[in-house]
Amino acid sequence: MTSLRETDVLIIGAGATGAGVMRDLALRGISSILIDRSDLNAGASGGNHGLLHSGGRYVSADTRTAAECHREADILKRIAPHCIDDCGGMFVAVEWDDETFARRFPDHCRDAGLPCKELSTDAARTREPALPGTVIAAYAVPDATIDPFALVLGHVDHAIHLGDSAYLPHTAVDVFEIANGVIEMAMCRDLRTGAETRIRARQVINAGGASTMDIAQRAGCSDVKLLYSKGTLLVSNTRISKGVINRLRVPGDGDILAPGGTVSLLGTSSVTVPRIEDNRPTVAEIDHILAEGTQMLPVLETTRFIRAFSGVRPLLAAPDAGGNARRASRRFLLFDHEDQGLKNFVTIAGGKLTTFRLMAEKTADLVAARLGNTAASTTSTTPLPQGDAIRWTEPGLAARDWYRRADPSDMIMCECEMVAQSAVDDITADAPGAESHMSLKAIAQRSRIGKGACQGAFCAMRVTSHLYDTGVYDSRGGLELMRAFLAERYRGVRPVLWGAQLPQAELAEILHCGLAGLDLMGSSTTGEPE
Amino acid sequence: MLKKSAETATIDFLATARALLPEGASYDACVGCGLCASGCPASGMFGMDPRRFINMAMLGMNEELSTTPWVWACTQCKRCAYICPMGIDVSLLVGASRSNWAKEDKPKGIVRSCAAQMLDESTSAIGLRSEDFVEIVEETADELRQNDPRFAEIEVRIDKPGAKFIINQNSREPAVEPEEMAPIWKIFDYVGADWTYASKGWAAENFCMFSGDDEAWRDMVKTRVDAINDLGAEIWVNTECGHSFYTLWKGIDRFGLEANFEPASMVSLYAQWIREGKLPVNSDWNVDNLKFTVQDPCQLVRKSLGDTAADDLRFVVETLVGKDNFVDMQPCRSANYCCGGGGGFLQAGMSKERRAYGKRKFDQIVTTKADYVLTPCHNCHSQIDDIGAHYGGAYHVTHLWTLICISLGILGPDERKYLGPELAAIGLPDPQ
Amino acid sequence: MKRHTRHVTADLAVIGTGIAGCAASIFARDLGLTVAQIGHSGAMAYTTGYIDLLGVLDGRVLDDPWSGLDALRSTDACHPLARMTNHDIRTAFDRFVRLLGEMGLGYTAPGDRNVSALLPYGTTKPTLSLPDTMLPGSDALHRRAPALIIDFEGLQGFSATEFCTNMASVWPGLRPARLVFPGLEARPVFPEVMARTLETPVAQEQLADLIQPLLNGAETIGLPAILGLQAPDRVRARLEQLTGATLFEIPTIPPGVPGIRLREAFERELPRRGVLLEPQNKVSEAILRSTGVDLTVQGALDDLRIEASAAVLASGRFLSGGLKSDRYRVKETVLNLPVRQPETRDGWFSAEYLDPAGYPVNKAGIEIDAAFRPLGPDGVPASDRLFAAGVVLAHQDWVRQRCGAGLAIATAYGAVQAAAGSINAR
Repeated sequence: MTSLRETDVLIIGAGATGAGVMRDLALRGISSILIDRSDLNAGASGGNHGLLHSGGRYVSADTRTAAECHREADILKRIAPHCIDDCGGMFVAVEWDDETFARRFPDHCRDAGLPCKELSTDAARTREPALPGTVIAAYAVPDATIDPFALVLGHVDHAIHLGDSAYLPHTAVDVFEIANGVIEMAMCRDLRTGAETRIRARQVINAGGASTMDIAQRAGCSDVKLLYSKGTLLVSNTRISKGVINRLRVPGDGDILAPGGTVSLLGTSSVTVPRIEDNRPTVAEIDHILAEGTQMLPVLETTRFIRAFSGVRPLLAAPDAGGNARRASRRFLLFDHEDQGLKNFVTIAGGKLTTFRLMAEKTADLVAARLGNTAASTTSTTPLPQGDAIRWTEPGLAARDWYRRADPSDMIMCECEMVAQSAVDDITADAPGAESHMSLKAIAQRSRIGKGACQGAFCAMRVTSHLYDTGVYDSRGGLELMRAFLAERYRGVRPVLWGAQLPQAELAEILHCGLAGLDLMGSSTTGEPE
Repeated sequence: MLKKSAETATIDFLATARALLPEGASYDACVGCGLCASGCPASGMFGMDPRRFINMAMLGMNEELSTTPWVWACTQCKRCAYICPMGIDVSLLVGASRSNWAKEDKPKGIVRSCAAQMLDESTSAIGLRSEDFVEIVEETADELRQNDPRFAEIEVRIDKPGAKFIINQNSREPAVEPEEMAPIWKIFDYVGADWTYASKGWAAENFCMFSGDDEAWRDMVKTRVDAINDLGAEIWVNTECGHSFYTLWKGIDRFGLEANFEPASMVSLYAQWIREGKLPVNSDWNVDNLKFTVQDPCQLVRKSLGDTAADDLRFVVETLVGKDNFVDMQPCRSANYCCGGGGGFLQAGMSKERRAYGKRKFDQIVTTKADYVLTPCHNCHSQIDDIGAHYGGAYHVTHLWTLICISLGILGPDERKYLGPELAAIGLPDPQ
Repeated sequence: MKRHTRHVTADLAVIGTGIAGCAASIFARDLGLTVAQIGHSGAMAYTTGYIDLLGVLDGRVLDDPWSGLDALRSTDACHPLARMTNHDIRTAFDRFVRLLGEMGLGYTAPGDRNVSALLPYGTTKPTLSLPDTMLPGSDALHRRAPALIIDFEGLQGFSATEFCTNMASVWPGLRPARLVFPGLEARPVFPEVMARTLETPVAQEQLADLIQPLLNGAETIGLPAILGLQAPDRVRARLEQLTGATLFEIPTIPPGVPGIRLREAFERELPRRGVLLEPQNKVSEAILRSTGVDLTVQGALDDLRIEASAAVLASGRFLSGGLKSDRYRVKETVLNLPVRQPETRDGWFSAEYLDPAGYPVNKAGIEIDAAFRPLGPDGVPASDRLFAAGVVLAHQDWVRQRCGAGLAIATAYGAVQAAAGSINAR
């Protein structure tokens, strides 16, 4: 079955940039269809620290990026405070670090216009008790963290509510039909159902993150050149620090511990990878990050980590960086592809989560101009609305909301994160993507389901049962979706399986194999009743 | 409804858990299985249960945990720690939370009971002063000597130095039903034990622990320990009561007090004396084959002596009522459910919650079809009696001392308050 | 205050209170040995209640566990079950299942073939013996008998609709229905609470009254496992009498009733059979002597010192605390015995979720000799008086192979026989 959809702009890639462009355009009165081969934030937008950089990390190497980060972070704190934990941050050098380098930090900050305050070791440790006595220098900076999922859900939801725009998850472009330097049609496929959707758009935006190069090539453009840098992070079971703690040294691995609401994220590593397919975290990366991280924060040695994840940073391949991703530019580039012979195709590549809004603005400026729309971007001043169905990614919110409402008939489906049935029902009914049949995975992406200590071992089963009860699932496929969801969680869980995680993993085996028979599903002799 | 005023400080529960709980049994070790919640009679009250308490701590919901009235519905029975494969003990942090409530916000009954204990060196929660206790004991002993020639010479000593045993006494008896003290005296007399009361710190209750007032708990225990040390007794015997046993030894331990005696449970002594032949009891009196069950006091079994005490208890009861007439509740021993009378719940004024809590105990009892529930703990006694009345149970609730004296043929006519009609006259001289 | 130590002597000390430990105690009492058993909680509470022997081998579901064991002996001689004869395994299994019956938990006698036992998600599990309360479900599946499946408001992770939907292709004629459990309206409910309540006649009648109108001709009813805790067979019989239908139970997600039933039954029964059971604490110190094993248990108020002529280590795996790990190695917790394991942590878990081969760490554990004696660092038995049983043993994957209970029972039998031999050889 083929359907045809028409829109002003087709945006490919539902990460922060794609969602940002969608909203920017919608605020200018331009409709769009946003598609993603997976779902919201499936790439680098979801695979990062959630840092809203003060810019401190770049002051020594790239003053412009540092200043840009600082400006953009300020804007986001104004327009989307509900997505942001303005927790502050600190740059800390410990015994092993180069003190001369550390002492230059305030000067670099001044050059980038970044506020920075020196802290005594005692003051630093009072603020962050997890810091060791080996601190030799500490500076406070206005770092913050941002919930990239709340951010992107908010953008997409707002754009949809502003008018004619739509979001299609698990949809990818098969082929661009190009004639006379114009993409006339994007032949897309719903990867879940296999159905074909033809999208006719006046402009096409490639915001495919790590896939931008591939998408550009499909449109016949060979000008996008990226460097893939894989970064791995660990998630702890509880929040270890109040604010962001950065290692004050030449940027390296295991340098940053950022709070993520109720947890902390430690990262990252940076490995240049040739492909983007297999970006699972490895045991070696975890051990490396911990070896580095424990120098700054010895408490990490005994911390319970519940998961790891990797993201692939799509960096612009700068001639001077060689293969070293740490030295590659964090800047972004907008390709108009006109020298490639295309008039209605643009690619936005590179950049950082912190600067996504600016990237979206620049992209929308170009596309709006091409469409003859002269409205200016208003995203730097228009507050991001909140909504019932899109607020559940905030750590701890579901728990506090449930506790406050004190409705015993509203069952808790995920005990670790205390996500209630009503939240699951909200998401299933109204969150972006709801019209295309919410699965457990989609619900998890829009909430804290599966994010706690058990990593979905229990709640996957409870939510799945509930989805059968509510008719969302009506075949054995629901069980297969549960297995797929757990398989994906496992990729992140595997490298942190030690200590307290081993009883947890044993219990998961008991649940998923012993009680659900998932290991025997699919093999022909098996699990199926006699 | 209990409510905590906003001004009081919030506790960092996760940090407290890391500090108070042993490594490997801290909140970080939780696998989320829910056995604790399933096995906790307070689950569901105020939206809370033990697993939720842990998860909320993990999520940093310190304000909610610092204010939830659930900490007064949890009786700190430690069944969660018993059932948890990781041994995570939620009750310790419930105690920390209780401590953190402002005095005026805490359940008035518990606070009043603790305050009463602080009034006088008697440490009585009913506020019975030392001189009154002495007077009541002496009067009651006199009456006993006069009314029953078999006990005309019975010795009931107070403050006798160098006695082997020193016994404490729950305030309920001297204050409300002094005649119920006599069976224990008779038993001690029967075995020829060298025992005494102390006029100071004689009371067998400690609500200061339950009110979360550590300083008062310490003072209370100190008064008692000093009195026992001063008299030079070898063994401190806790009467048939649970929490005062736990609060004393735990208090000694926790506050690093010097104690020159050993704590012993009355139940273990009964068992020892029966085994030694000093208490020649049997079940001959139970001619109707009345059925008995027993409530294992959490404070005595799970929280203090373990299944040794449960074994002793069963040995005593089975000897007294006949093996075939004893029916255990399920679960029992170290796994027993708290009845809901502990933790100060009876005094907290939360009768709706307390009875809801006790429903599980009531179902357990009904399932045994027992005619009598034996409760070697005063709080269990009151609670099980109350839920029986509330839910329409047909059982009676009795102390062990009553049955021992029945079997020995020495239970007086006015010592039968808790017996049903079928035992009201048993072993009494024929009225003709 | 003086901290007391109670001194106890026993022929056999059993370390662990799971199925293996409890089976070991019973087998030892059968032989007339005095037994002290120590442990605290553990994974037994998470069982479905099914007593399996060997359900899956090399990823294939086994119809006949006995020939599966034969195959195991030739392909995987180190598997603990491969160390025993089918005759001994059957003797142990029969004895254990009979014992459960004596304890009030009726189980089917093990036969020659595995049975497809029902799982709550509409899948099945091959098992050798199952509780009498669950048997009619397997029978009904076998006969494709129409059945009404009931779930309860507030009982999470058990959906009659899910069960019926996922079973539909092989078992048509299933019909879901939902009830509100009497007295537990508009709130989360735990199976344990329902089961406890259902032991009272009043609750039995109330539930039967609610089921009646749903029957609509149905002769078979499936329920989550909630039919009482100490006497499920009696509760089921009573409800069958009240409803006129055949009832069966389906296990539920933890915290579920079948595991709690087993645990409570042993806690009730072992002391009655003369076992000194210390269910509150784990062993804090164990010392191997040439004439036996000394164990110390730290209680809340006093300590317990056990001098045993021999010991069976049945301390379980990670959930039960018999094994633990840091970031580098898996360790045995009681005696620090060597643990057979993959070289590095990277080898513990396979790359893919539910790798059909099982995760390598699943087969980590302690090595034993033919007499169930754990091997020390030098590859010879750590002691002539120390034996091991259950899932702490290496070379088995009890969850994947559906052999946890059978393995526990059989190796407990083997270990106790060997231990008794060592004591008698004194």
